[in-house]
Amino acid sequence: MNDPVLVLGGGPAGLSAAHALAAAGQNVLLVDKENVLGGAPILSGYAKLVPSGEWAKDAIGGMVDRVRADPRIEVLTGERVMRFDGNPGAFNVALGSGATRAVSAAILCTGFTHFDSVNKPEWGFGTYPDVVTTTQVEQMISSGRGVHCPSDGRKPARVAILLCVGSRDRQIGREWCSKICCTVSSNLAMEIREEIPECSVYIYYMDIRTFGLYEDKYYWESQEKHHVKYIKARIAEVTSNGDRLIVKGEDTLVKRPITIPFDLVVHAIGMDPNVDNMTISAVFDVQLEKHGYLAKASSYSAMCGTSRPGVFTAGAATGPETIDDSIAQGQAAAMAALASLRTGLPQAAE
Amino acid sequence: MPIHEKSLIRPENLIRNEQLIIDGVDVSGDWSTFIAPRVITDYNEALEPEIAALPGGEHIHRCWQCGSCSNACTVNALNPDFNPRYWIYLIRLGLESELLRDKDIIWQCVSCNKCTHICPRDVDPEGVMKATARWLELKGHTPPSPAMEFDNIFSAQVITTGRIEEGRLLRKFFAHTGQKLTQDWLLGLVRGLVMRMPVGLLLRLGWAGVRAPRTRKWASTQRAIEEFIIEQEAAQRVALGLPPGETR
Ligand SMILES: Cc1cc2nc3c(=O)[nH]c(=O)nc-3n(C[C@H](O)[C@H](O)[C@H](O)COP(=O)(O)OP(=O)(O)OC[C@H]3O[C@@H](n4cnc5c(N)ncnc54)[C@H](O)[C@@H]3O)c2cc1C
Ligand code: SF4
Ligand code: SF4
Ligand code: SF4
Repeated sequence: MNDPVLVLGGGPAGLSAAHALAAAGQNVLLVDKENVLGGAPILSGYAKLVPSGEWAKDAIGGMVDRVRADPRIEVLTGERVMRFDGNPGAFNVALGSGATRAVSAAILCTGFTHFDSVNKPEWGFGTYPDVVTTTQVEQMISSGRGVHCPSDGRKPARVAILLCVGSRDRQIGREWCSKICCTVSSNLAMEIREEIPECSVYIYYMDIRTFGLYEDKYYWESQEKHHVKYIKARIAEVTSNGDRLIVKGEDTLVKRPITIPFDLVVHAIGMDPNVDNMTISAVFDVQLEKHGYLAKASSYSAMCGTSRPGVFTAGAATGPETIDDSIAQGQAAAMAALASLRTGLPQAAE
Repeated sequence: MPIHEKSLIRPENLIRNEQLIIDGVDVSGDWSTFIAPRVITDYNEALEPEIAALPGGEHIHRCWQCGSCSNACTVNALNPDFNPRYWIYLIRLGLESELLRDKDIIWQCVSCNKCTHICPRDVDPEGVMKATARWLELKGHTPPSPAMEFDNIFSAQVITTGRIEEGRLLRKFFAHTGQKLTQDWLLGLVRGLVMRMPVGLLLRLGWAGVRAPRTRKWASTQRAIEEFIIEQEAAQRVALGLPPGETR
């Protein structure tokens, strides 16, 4: 029997990888730095997920329970990997607690870090309490408290959602699209309209990227059924008139400046590379790609591989990714790791 | 012409002084050439539901501003200021004063439905044009458009007689809109008809024109239709914040 496979990170990708390995009879060591499993959807308290519509605590919670109950999976939470050396099939892991463990392969599922809106001060986050992020709105909904203005608890009459906050912005060195925030924003807009039917919701966008089957289910549905309005503008500034928030920008379709009052402004924050990636790169001796995510080997010959043989990766650790795709990649990484253990490392497709 | 090329100086604000000398300095020419502030300071959320409450306007909220309708539009090809996409946007944002600037061309839609057949979101832009013209009329911004007059005469005739008789319809419409019956194209049409039509049919046509036949047992149907129309119009006026009123 092989030594266990190390799965680092217990979010959707890691939970999926761990479960798939165990289901194939492989022992697993699942390590997460946080004290609870589930990754971003659980740690940040997401509400209803795209595209299933299931509550995060049920959907991802179910994945956590399945992993927790599996005798082949040993879970270490609140734990980190300090050193990782050896060769494929026979690696050594030094843990933060000082313990060392032998593992046969590693799958890095360390995910992403939410963009910190304080880094875009012109959009008022941190200055005005009623400027919030999509994660905060998710939490307002999932906690049962409902959508409200943090300043005084009132229900907003008008909400602006600003897309691409912390994405697609050379000014702050973020030259990627975070992929899911358009869809998540359409979804949240519908939830706001459902909870507060008299509230108008405006989405300020540069492009709408509700890709694939999310087009009609989220973008069209939000317009057609919930009367969410989409305005093509990248907002320049969020200020306040002492009473309400003032959103300034240019409506590019009528080519006119706008200074519109709002009660609540929501930043659709993007998915940054995990802040730990430099450390992870050093400890596991794997390369990062140019934006700072973990570099992937060729999909055509070494799906879920990294720059180091025997070390695999899946999910948002490798770039902005959806939950469903992270889960799929987790399973693919498990398959790649198992195959490498049974047959030796695959030679690149020749 | 794209919107941004529309003159930013509003011609209606211009004051022209052919001969103006102040303190010996000749300052003749155009005055008030300043550009009014163009900042949008609020959205008027009442306008879109009003248009949506009128027949044809129901799907306006689907529009994603692709511009297919304006590109396909028959009238836009002749008059670039006729821009359905732009008006739909103004309505959705509630830029009423901006919309009113174009009130005298909106009704020019010829209902060719090229826009309807190209719109990827099934907005029914032709319907929106109709609803907008109707809105302008109900709100008292424009007199009833010729198209609306035609519709009214057409439906009045159907309602009273239960059928439609084209000759009478045309005569009434022309009289109502002050057009001559002796227009060249019409004379040509009639001449062509007379030459090609079998005599029996021609006689029947003439007779129908004089006698105004009615569909038998029409009275109860007529009453039902009339009631329905009154109901609909009252509902439309209420949706626009007008008193239910006495139309027709
Ligand atoms: C506001 C918002 C809403 C979203 N809603 C949806 C949605 O509805 N549907 C959807 O498909 N996607 C959604 N997403 C995207 C979704 O969050 C990601 O697709 C998903 O979380 C990626 O899963 P993951 O397992 O790769 O990473 P993560 O969820 O980030 O999990 C990574 C795990 O690794 C652990 N970890 C990190 N670093 C270390 C380390 N150094 N050592 C040990 N452990 C570590 C973390 O504690 C965490 O448990 C949303 C994103 C945002 C920002
Ligand atoms: S998914 Fe949408 S909101 Fe997110 S970065 Fe891409 S374009 Fe912007
Ligand atoms: S129906 Fe009216 S708006 Fe549509 S293409 Fe024809 S003229 Fe233009
Ligand atoms: S074609 Fe349809 S969706 Fe496109 S601008 Fe015209 S009405 Fe809107």
